[in-house]
Amino acid sequence: MAVLEMKQVEKSFGTGHKKVDALKETNFHAEQGELIAVIGPSGSGKSTFLTIAGGLLSPTTGEVLINNANISTLNEKQLSRIRLKEIGFILQASNLVPFLTVEKQLKLLDKVKKDNMNKEQLEQLYKDLGIGDLRGKYPSDLSGGERQRVAIAKALYSNPSIILADEPTASLDSDRAYEVMELLKEETKSKKTTTIVVTHDIRLVDYCDKVYKMVDGVLELQ
Amino acid sequence: MFLAWNEILKNKLRFTLIIGVLMLVAYLVFFLSGLANGLASLNREAVDKWDADAIVLTEESDQSLVQSSFAVDTADSIDADETAVLGQLNAIAQTGDQKANVSIFGIDSDEFIMPEVTEGTAFTGGNEVIAGDSLKDDGFGLGDVLSLSSTEEKLEIVGFTDEARFNAAPVLYTDLETFQRVKFSEEATRDNSQISGIVVRSADVSSITDEEELAAIETETFIESLPGYTEQSLTLNFMIYFLFVISSVIVAIFLYVLTVQKISMFGVMKAQGIPSSYLARSVIAQTAILAAIGVAVGLGLTLLTGAFLPSAVPISFDIPTMLIYGVVLMVVAILGAVFSVLTIVKIDPLKAIGG
Repeated sequence: MAVLEMKQVEKSFGTGHKKVDALKETNFHAEQGELIAVIGPSGSGKSTFLTIAGGLLSPTTGEVLINNANISTLNEKQLSRIRLKEIGFILQASNLVPFLTVEKQLKLLDKVKKDNMNKEQLEQLYKDLGIGDLRGKYPSDLSGGERQRVAIAKALYSNPSIILADEPTASLDSDRAYEVMELLKEETKSKKTTTIVVTHDIRLVDYCDKVYKMVDGVLELQ
Repeated sequence: MFLAWNEILKNKLRFTLIIGVLMLVAYLVFFLSGLANGLASLNREAVDKWDADAIVLTEESDQSLVQSSFAVDTADSIDADETAVLGQLNAIAQTGDQKANVSIFGIDSDEFIMPEVTEGTAFTGGNEVIAGDSLKDDGFGLGDVLSLSSTEEKLEIVGFTDEARFNAAPVLYTDLETFQRVKFSEEATRDNSQISGIVVRSADVSSITDEEELAAIETETFIESLPGYTEQSLTLNFMIYFLFVISSVIVAIFLYVLTVQKISMFGVMKAQGIPSSYLARSVIAQTAILAAIGVAVGLGLTLLTGAFLPSAVPISFDIPTMLIYGVVLMVVAILGAVFSVLTIVKIDPLKAIGG
């Protein structure tokens, strides 16, 4: 079953001769348990693809389906609920709240949403990601790699069906980058989520089940 | 509340500074309200103690007790539940070495404006007075014989009563005969006694008198027309109201700066699907916490300061009024936060992730 599906999605900005086609007609689908990479140079439209997939941006034409539900016609409030429920974001600049400890970063999600991980699952998550000892620390006390692992924990904690990662390894050295990819792969397989990684780092494609290439707004399966 | 409180805990210095500013504003508000209240009671204390509905003065006195004068038997024509005749005279009273402005009240000891004696005895014979106890602070005591500025008559303090100040001067209560002698000297005949006004308790003020030369004035109106009273209280109250506006603006600016610093953080949270309403509530809760602490500390400091002030400073704290002002301060602070809430609502989550 397709968790995420895009049907003839197009996105353009501006009008008239200033019109820019950021995303040309795109058909895409991702299955449960898949780790997918979308690679391409900056400005190629990967970010537009990711934001449309994540319900942050509505397509100009076409349909986006998450778990077979069309999200292209929803309003901002409804989209916000979909993002909270179905999607875990891992962002380039770490998406942590500076004044919350690692433990409380996760607890924040309990304040706005039910059905997050239970205590046992959370302990397992801490263990898998190797961040159990960091739970009382603030983001400013963590290294780049540690922060990224906490960001992954945060994305996984709400049991999303889709994880969208935007350059998750950008601020990391090679060893750390591979480590993070290894983690994402393990979590994708064991939790049966769908993970889409947008990156310009082709070293990461070895970890992925499918690789798409984005060039000038056109998405192609490799 | 979760976000609000954790942020305060993490950035203690930043939020302590904001609380400090709110505390100073609250301190000033409470102090001014104490001063306004103290100055007001300086003027009206004795009148409040009558617990009367109105006072009858001559029409031409223009609501001024000092300017009003009529015959004591006019009281018979007054239609009210209770009446009390009152003669009033301002004078300078002095013993050998003490001197004070006083307001002499000539009253009938059987009528309701007769004060309760807190120390000593009531006046019985001629030339005896019950004095307002604020005179004690000026160095006067029981048994002191006072010479007056306008007459050769001497008055002896036989008792004290509390809350007896009128138009900023301590009151000397005495009987009508003594009052007549002091005000009009020996020539005044008893059956032609002149008084200044008649204090009245009555549910229907408009029907108290139908004599053309007389006017029944409601107590509150009478107080407001005391010389300087309205000007004084308006000035202080205006300052207090202005401080409410200032504190709202201060909170608005502080929170707005903090919010602008956190725009990308809020954007990321919104991208993750945390609703704007949750973030907005968090900012409101934070403001409420900061304002509550600031107001509470400001209140404590004001009361502490009040305890150490010399008695010459006319300050008196009316706790219910102060609590109301405290609540108003919190409300205007929260109004200041609305500006930041609007900013948060407008943040585009897309920008936060560089889309």
